[in-house]
Amino acid sequence: MISINHVSKTYETPAGKFAALKNIDLEIQAGQFVGIIGKSGSGKSTLLNMVAGIDRPSSGSVAVAGTDIHALSENKLATWRGRNVGFVFQFFQLLPTLTAAENVMLPMDFSKTIALRERRKRAVALLARVGVERQADKLPATLSGGEQQRVAIARALANEPPLVLADEPTGNLDSVTATEILDLFRDMANRGTTVIIATHEAGIARVIDRVIEISDGTILH
Amino acid sequence: MTSLMTTPWRKAIRDFWQERARTVLVVLAIALGISAFAAVLSSYAILTRELDRGYLATNPASAMLRVDSIDKDLVTEILRNPEVSDAEPRRTISGQLKAGPVQWRNLVLFVVEDYGNIRVSKLVPERGAWPPATGEMLIERDAFQVAKLKIGDAVTVKTANGVEQPLVISGSVHDVGQAQARMENIVYGYINLATLVQLGEQPLLNQLNILVAQNRFDKEHIRRVAGDVEQLIKSRGHEVQRVEIPQPGKHPHAALTGMLLLAMSSFGLFVLVLSGILVINLLTAMMASQVRQIGMMKAMGGTRWQIARIYFAQALFLGIAAVLVSIPLGILGSRALCRYMAMFLNFDINSFAVPLWVYVLVALIGVIAPLVAAAYPVWRGTATPVRVALSDFGLSQTNFGASAFDRALARVGGTFRLIAFAIRNSFRRRARLVLTLLTLAAAGLFFLSALNIRASMINTLDHMFAARKFDLSVFFADPYEFEKIHKAISKTPGVTRAEGWFANEASLGERRFTVIALPPDTQLQGFEITEGRALTLPDTDAIVINNALAGREPKMRVGETVVLRIGDEESALRVVGIAREAFSPGAVGYVPLSLIQQRQPHMTNSLRIALDNSDPDSIASVKAELDRNLEEQGIRARGSSTKAETRFAFDEHMLMIYVFLIVMSAIVGGVGGLGLMTTMSLNVLERRREMGVMRALGATPRIVCLMIVTEGVVIGILSWTIAALLAWPVSKSVGDLLVRMILRSGVDFTFEPLGLLIWMLVSIGLSAVASFLPAWRASRETVREALAYE
Repeated sequence: MISINHVSKTYETPAGKFAALKNIDLEIQAGQFVGIIGKSGSGKSTLLNMVAGIDRPSSGSVAVAGTDIHALSENKLATWRGRNVGFVFQFFQLLPTLTAAENVMLPMDFSKTIALRERRKRAVALLARVGVERQADKLPATLSGGEQQRVAIARALANEPPLVLADEPTGNLDSVTATEILDLFRDMANRGTTVIIATHEAGIARVIDRVIEISDGTILH
Repeated sequence: MTSLMTTPWRKAIRDFWQERARTVLVVLAIALGISAFAAVLSSYAILTRELDRGYLATNPASAMLRVDSIDKDLVTEILRNPEVSDAEPRRTISGQLKAGPVQWRNLVLFVVEDYGNIRVSKLVPERGAWPPATGEMLIERDAFQVAKLKIGDAVTVKTANGVEQPLVISGSVHDVGQAQARMENIVYGYINLATLVQLGEQPLLNQLNILVAQNRFDKEHIRRVAGDVEQLIKSRGHEVQRVEIPQPGKHPHAALTGMLLLAMSSFGLFVLVLSGILVINLLTAMMASQVRQIGMMKAMGGTRWQIARIYFAQALFLGIAAVLVSIPLGILGSRALCRYMAMFLNFDINSFAVPLWVYVLVALIGVIAPLVAAAYPVWRGTATPVRVALSDFGLSQTNFGASAFDRALARVGGTFRLIAFAIRNSFRRRARLVLTLLTLAAAGLFFLSALNIRASMINTLDHMFAARKFDLSVFFADPYEFEKIHKAISKTPGVTRAEGWFANEASLGERRFTVIALPPDTQLQGFEITEGRALTLPDTDAIVINNALAGREPKMRVGETVVLRIGDEESALRVVGIAREAFSPGAVGYVPLSLIQQRQPHMTNSLRIALDNSDPDSIASVKAELDRNLEEQGIRARGSSTKAETRFAFDEHMLMIYVFLIVMSAIVGGVGGLGLMTTMSLNVLERRREMGVMRALGATPRIVCLMIVTEGVVIGILSWTIAALLAWPVSKSVGDLLVRMILRSGVDFTFEPLGLLIWMLVSIGLSAVASFLPAWRASRETVREALAYE
């Protein structure tokens, strides 16, 4: 599913060069639930960004589901991402002027993979799957943190992507809600979606198939 | 319906709505620009159409021939020419009129043989009697203000050769093709032939108005037909003194009106550009505040174009909203403008209908302008890579402190921390500051220029009138011996100096102009010689021409000798100099009095008189006394004018330009104010968190509010400084350009210092008001809200 070969990433900062990833090699199978664990600044977000095509490697290659994404242009990458990757963020990042359902419909509108008339029905169904269908027509500001993250997960599933990436999805939630959210990801992986979560919480081990620990830009195991 | 609208569209609409207060400001600013443009453009379309339509409805004469006399047989014979569709004789005669003990006013009488059958240059009856009975006179509607009379009043009228005769004003007419009486300071009167006889004049008609049968708008054709008619009249033993061919089908003031309106519409476009700058500011800020959302949408698979479309849609909404507001506003404005111009030009507007092309053009420009303005900020804003967009927290997006300029600013303000803070803050968003300053400075520049141009035009008129040292001019119908006139003058108290001049018509080829013969050592007229020299005592065959004549006749260069026909004789005259007469509308040449007096010794046909008291009452009493004394000598004045009357006519002509300038600067000022308000609200919005921090550190809401207002005032003062520095060169060149375009003459530039003070007060006031609203709102926020803002 995912094949990362000799990937390095170096950033130019005012304080000098900073190597975020150092010669990473990694293979991830389809349908796996993977947790990338490490401290702040260890390089786990950078690794996630490489897989999503949000960031480009300084050297090395990234292939996802047979596509060499490091070779795609920004626009092609966006289109590819729309169909193949679902994204969940720590701060939920729902668009404030769109309702919950509309936030879920947005990726469908971008990718146009689903017929216009079907989009709302599907969005509501996805919201039902994560348990917030009653909030479908509310604006994000009126939802609790847990509800917002559920909407964000539904949005990540909008185009039925084979791959879902989540960067600290529980970082901003209380422990009860965090557990519920992790269970949603587990359910997603059970249905065949590849799920990769970056987190610095060790407690995730309970639900995941595989742990990748990263420190100072290299994979420990 | 909403289910068929994709979420990007919904986002565009809701974001637009969410920021509605600011959106309204920007929409208003754009709408102001479009309204101004639409008003002027519609007025241009309406006025040029109505002016010509109204003029054509009177069946204006294709040509006017001035003949010694015309009888019915001659007219019948002329009408046999198939190229002439109509010919109608009239009489134009100048005279004077007074009501009661009031002084004499200049009068031009039009004598029409049959008021029931006017076919060429028709008159439109307005009120009272039609046609005028014998012993009655109609007055042109615009001339009532000059005559200061009303229908039913009794007046005394005298013509050059006739007797004083009482007449009754029995009605008013509208004479569309006639120059406005108010501006010419002449009363136009309309009488019949029998009344003319009562006035002691011969019952003859001396002006023939002809209408060509075909090609009515072909000036060459008209010239040819008029030439044939002239030949015919001459072959019957009559004398043709003059043939006049007006611009066919065009109201005499159509060209000037069109030019003025075009100048105005270029101003409308200028305001539109200014409001475009606001769109740039608004969208740049919006893109900056939405960086994360843009990153999100990209992470979700939105392409750059898909995302850019959302923001372009918002620019589109701005344009559409502005167009919707401004079309009715523009139409209202155009009605007001048309009414004003119609009153000014003395004509009626039958239909205010705005042609379709105006709507289309206005709508297109209104919708496209914001899109164009949005292009750069949107395209740049959507270029941010996802990673950068997602790592941006919407906090301090500027790296204030990075440049030497910032570090220099950090030393500004010294111990007065509030001002230091305000100055540094206003420089944080430098591109925005530049654009805001541009708008505000342009407004100030416009305002200052408008005042300077007005002051310069008044200054120029002052100079022109200062060169005229006479208070009263008197014109005679025929030349008289100066000896006799002198007797009358010496009996009139209050005259300090009088000179006899001789005004005549001269022609160079086909073109005519006025030649004024005066003593070369005249004490009553100064000349501003721009090239060559003035007339001197030994000169006999020299001519000094004014700039209007020099501009019209390229052959008349200084040093050249030209052959002019003056009266009945030809004279070879050497052009010795060019005199500047800034706003003088006519082409005039000045020759030594001796040139004319070689032919007509000691004769004169006009008088220039300086008085020891030049207040209106003294002038009026001298004029009345002089009239009596001249009558004693058997001399009758054809007309007279005082310096004040002439000045008044000039001021009336300029009024429209002054009004135009002031209205325009008010509009630009409005756009500038809206621009500053937008900028301040953006500045405040982006720094909400910072303000929360300050409040957490103990700043009172009052301090926060004061700080923001100070920041606005700093911007206001900066813009004032820029405008003040540029005002001199800009207003000088714009003033010269504008005046040259409309009046074909430069101005004597002067700077209006009061303008600087006024604009300083306005810009400080404007910026304080513009920043107060966002400041007040920001200071009311709780610390928690402000800190939580992302």
